[in-house]
Amino acid sequence: MGVNGGPVDLPDPRVGALSRVAPKPVRYVLNWGRRYSLWVFNFGLACCAIEFISTSMSRHDFIRFGVIPFAPGPRQADLMVVSGTVSDKMAPAVRRLYEQMPDPKYVISFGACSNSGGPYWDSYCVTNGVDQIVPVDVYVPGCPPRPEALLHGIVRLQEKIAGESLGERYAPVPPAAALASPLRPAPERP
Amino acid sequence: MSNHEAVKRVPGAGLAKGLAVTFRTLLRRSVTAQYPEVKPALPARSRGAIALLEENCTSCMLCARECPDWCIYIDSHKETLPAPEGGRERARNVLDRFAIDFSLCMYCGICIEVCPFDALFWTPEFEYAEYDIRDLLHEKDRLREWMWTVPPPPENDPSGAVPKEITTAERTAGPLTPGAGGDRDGGSEGGAGE
Repeated sequence: MGVNGGPVDLPDPRVGALSRVAPKPVRYVLNWGRRYSLWVFNFGLACCAIEFISTSMSRHDFIRFGVIPFAPGPRQADLMVVSGTVSDKMAPAVRRLYEQMPDPKYVISFGACSNSGGPYWDSYCVTNGVDQIVPVDVYVPGCPPRPEALLHGIVRLQEKIAGESLGERYAPVPPAAALASPLRPAPERP
Repeated sequence: MSNHEAVKRVPGAGLAKGLAVTFRTLLRRSVTAQYPEVKPALPARSRGAIALLEENCTSCMLCARECPDWCIYIDSHKETLPAPEGGRERARNVLDRFAIDFSLCMYCGICIEVCPFDALFWTPEFEYAEYDIRDLLHEKDRLREWMWTVPPPPENDPSGAVPKEITTAERTAGPLTPGAGGDRDGGSEGGAGE
């Protein structure tokens, strides 16, 4: 609260410059710490959320990987798992909660609906993939994916975190035209 | 007066009861599946991914047309075989591209059911999470590799009827094996995994 009771403009929480330009051994230690303490925040929107819950329970138990499902909210989370159909009405909320997460933040898109819209890709009200609104690190295919598939996606994400450099990850954002990827051409006909 | 009775209970009884549950659970074996080290024992029919036996595919497009998501992409061209001695030339389809977009697939299995030539199979493979969504579009070479993970088809029911492939063969060629008739182990057509 400001003096007048209004909101205060705080700077966006960013990864510090020291972390970006850290030498390699320090980066290794930082990445090692990050990959094994991923406080996860489940954006459960549809039936895939049940598989997420199943993964967090004792049979699959992703706390073994350091993925901790007790984040009180997005402001305390490192990883967002979008599981379910993102409708156009829900998309601003997904974006908003993503922006509330502190850097460095990771997103797993879990299931066909959040990957690309899935069976609802031609619906009038479904976002064709959560990657249209937030950057996604790992895509887990399935409808819904097995709990083990989410575990595999988490392992893939940890491999990615282990090899990443935050300087590259938080480099200046390229223009929107560069983000739009060209269609992958079909293989050459013989 | 339940309130009055509650006062008369032994202090710490609830704590002891709770700890007893904890202690019992401590002695029990853990149910956690050790996934990355121990692969899950999946049933043969689990729907992990769709494999393509390319040799069986005639590019008839039935799967692509029946797919509710339109996530199968097929390209093919016609090839004319030269005429043999005294015959006419034959045309056949050659499969150029067969791709399944696993980011879109809803794993309904309709393509596998409609395939008239047994070219599509379920495989329990599920470990193909990707960093880029474009990598989830798997071309026919990857789908063909998955054929090696397809489990063998289930055994025929020993008390069931003899498969019609065997009865037809026996009608034309006599008993297939000496003392056959009840021998039904030859009915595994559509040899998956090979």
